[in-house]
Amino acid sequence: MMRRRNSSFAPSGLARPNSSTHSLRCGLHSFAASRLGHGVRRTIFQYFLPLMFCFTFLGQVWAQGGGELRFCLRAEPKTFDPLKVEDDASVSIRYLTGGVLVRMNRQTQALEPELAQSWKVSKDGKSISFKLRTGISFSDGTPFSAEDVAYTVQQLMDPALHSPTGDAFRSGPSKVETKIISPSQIAITFPAPVAGLDRLFDQVAILSARSSKKEMAVLGPFMVADYKPGTTVLLKRNPNYWKTDAQGRKLPYLDSISLDIQPNRDVEMLRFKRGEVDLINALDSEYFDKLAATSPQLVHDAGASLDSEQMWFNEVAKAPLPAYKKNWFRSATFRRAVSQAINREDLSRVVFRGHAQPAVGPFSPANKFWFNSKLKPTVYSPQASLKSLQAEGFRLENGTLKDREGNDVVFSIITNSGNKYRERMAVLIQEDLQKVGIHVNVVTLDFPSLIERMTQTFDYEAILLGLTNVGLDPNEEMNVWLSSSENHQWNPQQKTPETAWEAEIDRLMRAQASGADAKKRKESFDRVQEIVVEQAPFIFLVNKNALSAVSSSVQGASPVILHPQTFWNAERLTVTAK
Amino acid sequence: MKAGRTLACVVLLIVVGASLAAGWLAPAGYAKQYREAADAPPSAQHWLGTDEIGRDRFARVLYGTRISLLLAPAAALLSTFLAVLVGGLAGYLGGVWARVAMAVTDLFLSLPWLFLLITVRALMPLNVSPLVSVLVTFLILGALGWTSAARVLCATAATLRSSDFVCQARASGIRGGRLFWIHVLPNLKPVLYAQFWISIPVFILSEANLGILGLGVAEPLPSWGSLLRELEGLVSVGEEPWKFVPLILLVVVVTSFQFLLSKQEEVAA
Amino acid sequence: MTTGAHTRPTLLSAHFSVRYGKRAPTLRNVKLEILQGEVVGLVGQSGSGKSTLAMTILGLLDRKRAHAEGTVQFEDRDLLQLGERELRSLRGRKLALVLQSPLSSLNPALRIRTQLREAWRAHAAGSSADCEQAIRAALEGVSLPSSDEFLRKYPSQMSVGQAQRVLIAMAILHRPALLIADEATSALDVITQAEILALFRELNRQTGMAILYISHDLASVAEICDRVAILHEGQIVECGPTEEILSCPQHEYTQRLMAAMPRIPRTNAAQSRPAAASAAKATGSG
Repeated sequence: MMRRRNSSFAPSGLARPNSSTHSLRCGLHSFAASRLGHGVRRTIFQYFLPLMFCFTFLGQVWAQGGGELRFCLRAEPKTFDPLKVEDDASVSIRYLTGGVLVRMNRQTQALEPELAQSWKVSKDGKSISFKLRTGISFSDGTPFSAEDVAYTVQQLMDPALHSPTGDAFRSGPSKVETKIISPSQIAITFPAPVAGLDRLFDQVAILSARSSKKEMAVLGPFMVADYKPGTTVLLKRNPNYWKTDAQGRKLPYLDSISLDIQPNRDVEMLRFKRGEVDLINALDSEYFDKLAATSPQLVHDAGASLDSEQMWFNEVAKAPLPAYKKNWFRSATFRRAVSQAINREDLSRVVFRGHAQPAVGPFSPANKFWFNSKLKPTVYSPQASLKSLQAEGFRLENGTLKDREGNDVVFSIITNSGNKYRERMAVLIQEDLQKVGIHVNVVTLDFPSLIERMTQTFDYEAILLGLTNVGLDPNEEMNVWLSSSENHQWNPQQKTPETAWEAEIDRLMRAQASGADAKKRKESFDRVQEIVVEQAPFIFLVNKNALSAVSSSVQGASPVILHPQTFWNAERLTVTAK
Repeated sequence: MKAGRTLACVVLLIVVGASLAAGWLAPAGYAKQYREAADAPPSAQHWLGTDEIGRDRFARVLYGTRISLLLAPAAALLSTFLAVLVGGLAGYLGGVWARVAMAVTDLFLSLPWLFLLITVRALMPLNVSPLVSVLVTFLILGALGWTSAARVLCATAATLRSSDFVCQARASGIRGGRLFWIHVLPNLKPVLYAQFWISIPVFILSEANLGILGLGVAEPLPSWGSLLRELEGLVSVGEEPWKFVPLILLVVVVTSFQFLLSKQEEVAA
Repeated sequence: MTTGAHTRPTLLSAHFSVRYGKRAPTLRNVKLEILQGEVVGLVGQSGSGKSTLAMTILGLLDRKRAHAEGTVQFEDRDLLQLGERELRSLRGRKLALVLQSPLSSLNPALRIRTQLREAWRAHAAGSSADCEQAIRAALEGVSLPSSDEFLRKYPSQMSVGQAQRVLIAMAILHRPALLIADEATSALDVITQAEILALFRELNRQTGMAILYISHDLASVAEICDRVAILHEGQIVECGPTEEILSCPQHEYTQRLMAAMPRIPRTNAAQSRPAAASAAKATGSG
């Protein structure tokens, strides 16, 4: 289920769309799946803007309105059924067409009312009740009521449907209860507590229980009007959309959105330059600079995104590596020393041309609520690094670091080929570590081989990969941090935690998962972040910035770091004719 | 004509000479990262500017030339040798031999090389020094590049086999091996030369592709392949012409070699 | 001429059939005898099996495709029973071949010296001086210059006549007992042809080398052969002293051949024209 979010970011992460892209993507899926565990949090929608916010756009939108917005989907949408959505293209369409009870504001990251006027999560975190808006109907005219919500939730949790979105809600084996209190009130009870329950509804597009048009009857601002496989998806304004702007004018302003299916980023860029598309999400930093050189007003750097680039050492006990190397990799001092010897500023500045920020810890500062702001950034210092290595028994001889037994400190970093940013980071790290006498061999592998080494054979020393992190909630990362998980990359599937700090992380992650109290959950996860930085099982390198481009004919755009970056406020965008 | 040949000679001498004198011409070295001046345009300090991570492009071109000019022709030689061995001999011997050899060639061509190379990579240790990677690359290119040449050689050798002069030579009592070596092989020469020269640029580019599988020349060693790979994502041609130096160099060198060779051929004929 | 021939010992006595695969035999019960020092003509039109016959004697038939049955007694051995190794030691040394098209019979990629040297080395182990001497002697024997300049030439740098002489020089390097000339003069112009025929006769007289002169051209055969064999559709239909055959051909095919022979019009052009026309027709249908 996670795959879709990662696949969407894969092209940017993997750079060139070439012949091997497909397999690389597949590879990324599996890894993504592992890291992010469950839950689909990326598309956190937000139609319900606070009044104040509306005013900022008012001047522009009042005068114009209408028009057609055009941008590219990077792959064929796999489904139009919002419950089956898995791939990125489908997520984008669901975001634009689906009506949800609550929506996370992509800018503020706060949860806002949408079809539900208000909601309440019970103390035990098992149930949630919604008070719904009234007088709303689906795009085909079918009225909306609590019955539709109940139907949607039942469908969502139906094991036969295998809804990827539903997986996030599955907390226990027994059935979910939906209780319709009145046509505008509903209570939903899950068999066990669900962490961050209310936010999960951001991705649940409500289906009509009665409409003959099934999932094509929607509550969102747009509806699918035409679909030519391999070419375009045409969305038209939903005439029955309930929302109005501050002036009482019906939303959305746009008449239609034309989504061209175009996997090639070069073509996308070319078409943008020609004015044939209006938006580019997840822009490559090289393209960004090229575009910025000629038309700086079109590009947007929204700052650090949730994505991180990181490297880690193989700490698997049964890995086919010499014992002395395992000793290095299993030593926190060694890992921290390597971390200290890496110049993150240079990685951001040189490799990403400033469109990345040195990473602090497991969560990007872009994650406003969950990021632990007390974490201290790792300071680049080859001297300090060498000093701690020497304290650990390493010594520098003729520019080569040797361990206590006299072995040269040499290891390889593997990364996926085709991603020039990662290749360049690896080469920079190669030079950085040479300064403390560590000799690094850079090896690029095709993604499937890399994944096989990472998850099956454990035949690797260090891996450098970027992980697309689309969800905000740490609960989504349960199976990365739990030592028993097969996705605990540096040393997966431990029967019992092999180290005290991993045991502690296990405890804290379980604690945050079972609580409904956000504050307590945050305390637990803050501690997890501290331990991870201290022990450096993952050496976090940079957080890439969220880059995008918006044509000058689009008004009201305000690109954000969260998906869908440029069109998160699609219902309030307008396009002037060129 | 002669002037052209001289020019080709001079060009090659300059290129080879410069690559051998790389240490002196480009003291910056191919690996040193001038991170403050990444992706810089040409300057007095960096004649061809710097690459994306601030390495002196001029130095990288020179060292890359050294490696590629050593690697590609050597690999081409190996593959041509294998092509003669398999294709030429099979075509000359004819009959079952030709059928077996062509079946082997077909099989070889139809093998999923991508996966086999991935397997090769999997069997190799990860910690391979850049120099060893050059050797491995050479062997792989040489061992894989012979098939198409073998098919051409097989067909050519088969026609030679039934030619009058071979019949005449056999009637003179010349032995099989000698017949192949003295009478057939010299007549395969034009095809061999063509295959050899076609292989060189192909191998230079293939080397870059092997890099994708973790089998090419390893960082930080440069090669023409990896330098050409830089051009892959270039959106506009006009803005940064100095980035095309590796490509121009490749074209110039291959052309010069061919020029030189075709002249020799003519003289020989 | 003919009377003298009968007293000589037999050099080659062949009696065999050849078939390719399951098709009808290309040569059927061919009987041919060549005495030492004798010049025998083998006449037949294209496709009659002349070349197959030559290749059978030399053991150069494609053994996988062609199947020869019978005997080819050469000196004291049956060539059809010999292995490749023994045959190879005979080829070029005892049995020599000169093919039709001199330019394609010489290796275009090799200098004359190399080709002659290779032919010499196939059967001699002497020093390179010996080799050089043998080559020069052979070239002189065919009235070619033996200069270094000439030896450095490639076949493409020579005239057809020169090339044919080189081929003959190559064939006589080891003084073979039997030279098979397979249409050796057919590709030459009339004057060169006459020269080469003279050369064959000269070589025959000087070295006592027997020649199997294969041709479709009765006139050239008449000029140098002691005896003639007429090959028609894979069979030898007539064999005898040249004069006998030419003066009173017995077999119908021989008669047709004779009729088809071009004649220089002596008396009246109008007389010979219809004859030539009917001959052309006869050849065409045959």
